[in-house]
Amino acid sequence: MSHVPTGKPTGKEPAGLRYPTNGKTIYHRPLNRSKTAELSQSSFAYLFSEMVTYAQRRVTGIQELEKRLNNQGHPIGLKLLDLLLIREPARSQTRPLNIISLLQFIKMSLWQHLFGRQADRLEKSSNPDTPDEYMIIDNEPLVNAYISVPREMSQLNCAAYVAGIVEGVCDGAAFPARVTAHSVGGNEDGEMWPGKTVFLLKFQPEVLEREALIASKV
Amino acid sequence: MVIYSFYIFDRHTECIYSKLWLPPSAAAAAAPATPATANIVTGDGAGSVTLAPRGGPHNTDRRSVKVKASDDAKLIFGTVFSLRNMVRKLGGDDDAFISYRTGQYKLHYYETASSLRFVMLTDTTTLSMRSVLHQIYINLWVEYVVKNPLAPVEHKGGDGVKNELFELGLDQFVRGLM
Amino acid sequence: MTVFALIIINKAGGLIYNKTFYEAGLNKISTNDYLVLAGTFHGVHAITSRLNPVKNPANRASASAGGMLTRPDPPSGLEVLESENFRLQCFTTLTGVKFLLFTDTTQANVDQTIRRVYDMYSDYVMKNPFYQLEMPIRCDMYDRKLLSYIREINNR
Repeated sequence: MSHVPTGKPTGKEPAGLRYPTNGKTIYHRPLNRSKTAELSQSSFAYLFSEMVTYAQRRVTGIQELEKRLNNQGHPIGLKLLDLLLIREPARSQTRPLNIISLLQFIKMSLWQHLFGRQADRLEKSSNPDTPDEYMIIDNEPLVNAYISVPREMSQLNCAAYVAGIVEGVCDGAAFPARVTAHSVGGNEDGEMWPGKTVFLLKFQPEVLEREALIASKV
Repeated sequence: MVIYSFYIFDRHTECIYSKLWLPPSAAAAAAPATPATANIVTGDGAGSVTLAPRGGPHNTDRRSVKVKASDDAKLIFGTVFSLRNMVRKLGGDDDAFISYRTGQYKLHYYETASSLRFVMLTDTTTLSMRSVLHQIYINLWVEYVVKNPLAPVEHKGGDGVKNELFELGLDQFVRGLM
Repeated sequence: MTVFALIIINKAGGLIYNKTFYEAGLNKISTNDYLVLAGTFHGVHAITSRLNPVKNPANRASASAGGMLTRPDPPSGLEVLESENFRLQCFTTLTGVKFLLFTDTTQANVDQTIRRVYDMYSDYVMKNPFYQLEMPIRCDMYDRKLLSYIREINNR
């Protein structure tokens, strides 16, 4: 005669979220359950193309266009942080607590989830004046696979959308940062990777302050 | 190999001879009254239109076929003329347009030094007919038209081309190929 | 085996792309001449599809497999043009865009080549948010992919 729900089905369970017996909810697996869980790159390319065209309406400059793309990605980053953490094994289900582990999380888990591979490199700014800057490098961003930026907009990099996602992850993990995407294909090894893109993460000063505090305590 | 039709254009861009060998089904669909080999010598378009119908049940059919044939001849000339110029422009002055193919038919082209143009329409699987057109020129045109003392120098309106020997020879030669 | 040049004509007969891969293949003509050529070809192509000497008999449609009524294919225009110095293959997409590939006279498998060129067009031009339909194609990525593909064929 207990009101506490037991494991057995009682016929009138309390309303609310029900957990399967193995504890795995729909959040633990991808919606697409086909063998390889692949999505069509073409569909995405057309969708993204329309997103860029949409963002291009009534904007005055490239800065504003990138800002809009960034804003489109931001909420995705926030949600993905939660989703990817819940899918981690229970013991490692913790939010990244320092910059390095956050960057590792982005480079590995986030990139793997979004693009099916890891980001190519992580770098810390070598300039002593800007210790708050970190870089994630992608040699050929998936979103730019079919995009040729016209010459008069050469400053633009449509991976600003991905930068928005990264920014969302950082914000969600309480590492507020400003993330921008820059094309560096024209540089030293530009021949090899013409679409090479650097995502520049500039953390807010309080993040570095906290980081220093943690480091001193350990 | 199927040969659909054959045209000769003179250096004044006029169609001086045309002959159709339509497959029986198509000929029947196009003109029930005409025999399977419709033989039409066209002048300029106006000339063939002014041919007054002489009465009889199938005259309108016959005339529409005639008008269509003369339209076709003009379109064909326009096409080969444009393509020939395009080929000359791109391939150099020594280049020559040989043939083109669509999904339904193939058009072969041969131009003599005297700017006489021979055009033949065949089915798509036919190989190059350039030598065939050359033979028609050498063995039929030169023999029966050029060497004919009664044929005029200019074949305005098809004058002198429509003689028995040439037509018979052409028909036999083409039927021999098919 | 050499691919000389590629021309793309939009559905209104305007020249939207033109690239030479092998300089010695065709005569050099000015951009204006190319525009004229595209327009002329567009017109000729339309005429060649009308000149079809074989009229589809009405009973052929009903004779197709399974007794299903099918519409006969619309007559296609010019597909291959041969001259003494070059060969021109034309591929018309369902949307009316024409791809003209100029090759030498012995080139084989141009069908596949032109298909691949169309594939790349649909990837790097049609999926590019900065491309405006019917306008001249200015896409670095398309240029780059096309060049490396054709270079591979020409060096084979």
